[in-house]
Amino acid sequence: MARFQVVHRTEYRYAQTMTDGFTTTHLLPRATLSQTVESATITVDPQPDELDHTVDQFGNSVMQFAVHRPHDRLSIESLIWVSVADPSVADPSGDGTITAGAALVTWEEVRAAAAAATDDLALELGPFLAHSGLTPRLGELAALVDPVFGSNRGMVEAVAELGHRIFGEFRFDPGFTDVATPLGDVLAARRGVCQDFAHVAAAALRSTGLPARYVSGYIETLPAPGQPKLVGADASHAWCSVWAGPLGWLDFDPTNDQMPPQCHVTVGWGRDYLDVAPVRGVVIGPGGEQTLTVSVDVMELNP
Amino acid sequence: MYAPTAGRFDEVVDGDGRVRAEWEPVMREIGSFDRRVLAERQHQADRLIEAEGAGHLVHEIALERPDVAGVRGMNTRLQARSRPWRLDAVPFVIAAADFQRLAGAVAQRARAIEALLADCYGPRRLVAEGLIPAAMLYELAAFRPVAGGPGAVHRWLIHYAVDLVRDATGAWRVVQDLTDAPNGLGYALLNRSVSARVWRHGLRACGAAAINDQADLLRQALSAASPLMQTSPRTVVLTPGPGDSTYVEHSYLAARLGFHLVESGDVVMRRGRLWLRAIEGLEPIDVVYRRVADASLDPLEPHHSALGNGIPGVVWGARAGGVALGNGFGSGLAESSELTALLAVAADRLLGEHLQLDAYQPGMELATSPVFATSPVFATSEDRAGPDDERTWTAMRSHAVTLRLQAVHRAGGPGDGERDGYVVMSGGTGRVLADDDPPSRPTVQVVKDVWVLGDSGNAAPVTINRPPQVDFSSSVPKRAADALYWLGRAAERAEVAARAARVVGSQLHQDPLLIDSSVVAFGALALLASAAGASAPNPADGPIDNPQLTEALRATTVAAAAQIGSLVREASSVGEYLSATTGRVLGRLEALGSRLAVADAPDDDLDAVLADLAALSGLAMESIVRGPAWRFLDLGRRIERTLAVLGEIEASLGVASSPNELQPLAEMVLSANESLVAYRRRYRSDVDLHAVLALLLHDDANPRSLAFQLDRLREHVAGLAWSTGSDLVAEAAIRSLDTVGRTVVGGRRVEMDALVLAVRQPVLELTEAIARRWFADPINPTAMRGR
Repeated sequence: MARFQVVHRTEYRYAQTMTDGFTTTHLLPRATLSQTVESATITVDPQPDELDHTVDQFGNSVMQFAVHRPHDRLSIESLIWVSVADPSVADPSGDGTITAGAALVTWEEVRAAAAAATDDLALELGPFLAHSGLTPRLGELAALVDPVFGSNRGMVEAVAELGHRIFGEFRFDPGFTDVATPLGDVLAARRGVCQDFAHVAAAALRSTGLPARYVSGYIETLPAPGQPKLVGADASHAWCSVWAGPLGWLDFDPTNDQMPPQCHVTVGWGRDYLDVAPVRGVVIGPGGEQTLTVSVDVMELNP
Repeated sequence: MYAPTAGRFDEVVDGDGRVRAEWEPVMREIGSFDRRVLAERQHQADRLIEAEGAGHLVHEIALERPDVAGVRGMNTRLQARSRPWRLDAVPFVIAAADFQRLAGAVAQRARAIEALLADCYGPRRLVAEGLIPAAMLYELAAFRPVAGGPGAVHRWLIHYAVDLVRDATGAWRVVQDLTDAPNGLGYALLNRSVSARVWRHGLRACGAAAINDQADLLRQALSAASPLMQTSPRTVVLTPGPGDSTYVEHSYLAARLGFHLVESGDVVMRRGRLWLRAIEGLEPIDVVYRRVADASLDPLEPHHSALGNGIPGVVWGARAGGVALGNGFGSGLAESSELTALLAVAADRLLGEHLQLDAYQPGMELATSPVFATSPVFATSEDRAGPDDERTWTAMRSHAVTLRLQAVHRAGGPGDGERDGYVVMSGGTGRVLADDDPPSRPTVQVVKDVWVLGDSGNAAPVTINRPPQVDFSSSVPKRAADALYWLGRAAERAEVAARAARVVGSQLHQDPLLIDSSVVAFGALALLASAAGASAPNPADGPIDNPQLTEALRATTVAAAAQIGSLVREASSVGEYLSATTGRVLGRLEALGSRLAVADAPDDDLDAVLADLAALSGLAMESIVRGPAWRFLDLGRRIERTLAVLGEIEASLGVASSPNELQPLAEMVLSANESLVAYRRRYRSDVDLHAVLALLLHDDANPRSLAFQLDRLREHVAGLAWSTGSDLVAEAAIRSLDTVGRTVVGGRRVEMDALVLAVRQPVLELTEAIARRWFADPINPTAMRGR
């Protein structure tokens, strides 16, 4: 069990005064089988003129707000306290409900179970079997997938190797991509950031018929003594979660080659970045330049 | 006569070669395809369509608003591309009994799609049962998960349209469903209004079912969607703008329904409601009849495609119940062929009904119809033979036709015993197909009016509630006021340029020796430059020669053509404020304008332009209600005329001249201001500078004088209760009273130049103030950057 505090600040500055601004955020963390939300608040400046809190169809917490006064800056700060159960591959949810031997399931068995799903399970898995705009069905994925998903291979082992390969073959390069970079470019250049690697992993898994979620969240900023600082800190982070049949959903972080992730705070999940973008918005005004500053601080609290 | 294609179902002739019963009354009307009758009707239909619709829109004319003292700081370059169409002289006829069956099947299809949408965005029962593969659904770009969830739309389809063809055996088949922002209803009404005039009593004699009720039904269905349940909700028609290929229909429907036509910049979401940006402030809107597709509706939503068109936050507002959308956001999902393929399954599972209509399969042979407008002689608008042209003998052609039918939702009332369902319009449009056209994409721009003929049996009449309409006449969207103002200015500029070219041109023809006086030649050149908005000639450049004047004449004529382009373009975005007659005048002006722009225009063309511009200004005075919309139109006109008379005085009377030289110069300026006759009647003398100035500047009975313009401007700013405007107009009026002496310095009458400058300055300030106070509203939605 670990407890984390996350402070996530986003600030926009506009060169000219805007009359209206509309913002949709996926910043409030959701409760999961292994994560309890102790407290989560968002502070917006200037004070929003309207504010709405809803849950999207994937169960994520969505906060929308709008400012209808002249403003030339907008700052959004979220403060989160969560506690996270110690994860393990044998019991990804950490709730002890997994039957013995579940970790031995083969990836073909999982694929068959996903394809045969009906009722609630079909509704749960369906969205994550589908390719999306940012996780398209690409022929280039085969080079990544084929060597990993061999006949009768164990699901856990195969997914671990997929994460390992992405970690080994792709270079972390914040200058190469932005939110609109197509997956094909990332695959060709073998470069990108955590969002891109999460997309690569999700697209690769879906191309084999395995349901995969894009997960948005944070990882702890300060490394443990003697450990290197983890990539993706000081910004929002993203990783992938795969449905592993009897094991349920199994998270893995290709950016840091971790399975399961060790110090991750989950905000939400969707088919890709667009479903759970932390902050998305539109301002109305004379146009012109805008600057964006983002900072994220994650620290472990005493239990 | 008409020879159908053998072996295929034909709409007119049955398998035994006999004319079908429903066609008999039509055949009587047109003498069994008598070429003279048809040719005459085709001509009439072509003319009417041009005047009614397509004539409103120009093709590829860039809109250039004059950059007045840097106020706008930009030129609005927009391009309008309308697709002119022709209405065939021969209608598409369906027997009432056949139509009733078809309408029932279409209404069933609408219900099935409504149920399918409600399931896909709601419980997703079909996914849970494995009837719709979840991965397939979630991969469709048209599937917008955000549209579902709590508070989601309670009705997806308010308006549904469907394309149908008859196969070679005569069975109806579905080509495509239109569920996002289906078009064609306005075109059907517009085409019918043309048919009604071409056929006169023939339409009734044949017994064609009326279709007018459909507009009322649509209005009623939209009102019923209002989230606040008012008795008289406010509805607007949301259009992508004049650049959209179906803008003619949007404009026509808005006028027909009595709703405001708005573009995204005309409205804003605030406090959960949608507001119209009217010149007097924000006014609430309850229902949006959107002609903007899902993908462009709301830039706040993911997967938004075109930032300029949408309304940020409108999907959020609709989900929260502050505004209703017709059709619901996400309805475009049902246009996906992957989903349509499963519609029969959905109907079976969700409605417990067997889907009556089968799908068209690519490559199927289709039934044929007789078409007149595609015959070689009528193939192009440039080559339309007269009724006596022998070539029309071979006129009838045989084509396949895609039928578009329109259905509108109708809520069953508690007491009226009617079921909730869809009412299918007893008519529609048929698109004529070329031989290789897929039925969903006709390449021929020929349509048919669809007539339902014969005894409709027991079809129950539809009762329509007519809710009281909110009076929107006093609220004018800022954008519309802006466009009307610039329409007024462009019309006046066009007139000033055309008249200057006409006056100088005829002076030159009458008295070629004028050019011998360098002062007169310079004044004439300066007059042309002023009228064309070009820079004034420089006296230091030496004497003016004939080619120079001819070139300036040409440039002024081209400037007139450009202004006509601007005025037609501005008019196209505010068509609902202008009368139908205005549309005709605009259509003619557009044609004349393009003639002026390309060739050496004969004086005759300039005269015709002046007559049409006069007609336009007459219509503005006589057929627009004196509300704020009219006020802004006239404000533009008066400001431009003020600037024009000042410019012409400066150009031609500011030059110091001998009495001999003053005579022709003053006559040109007086003519250019239509005041020469008045001058002669009043003074019966040689030209006297002060008398000329008195008539042009201070005579408030002369509708072309400065004083007259300032009086109108004073009325307008007073009508708007706008003190800044009143101060500026008063300042201009006071300055115009300065006396003009005879001091000459450097060849210029300095007091006259001073007076022109002094009056012009507050008028220019007024134009800036108008833009700031009444129009300026920066409304570009910009995406906030991610990451």
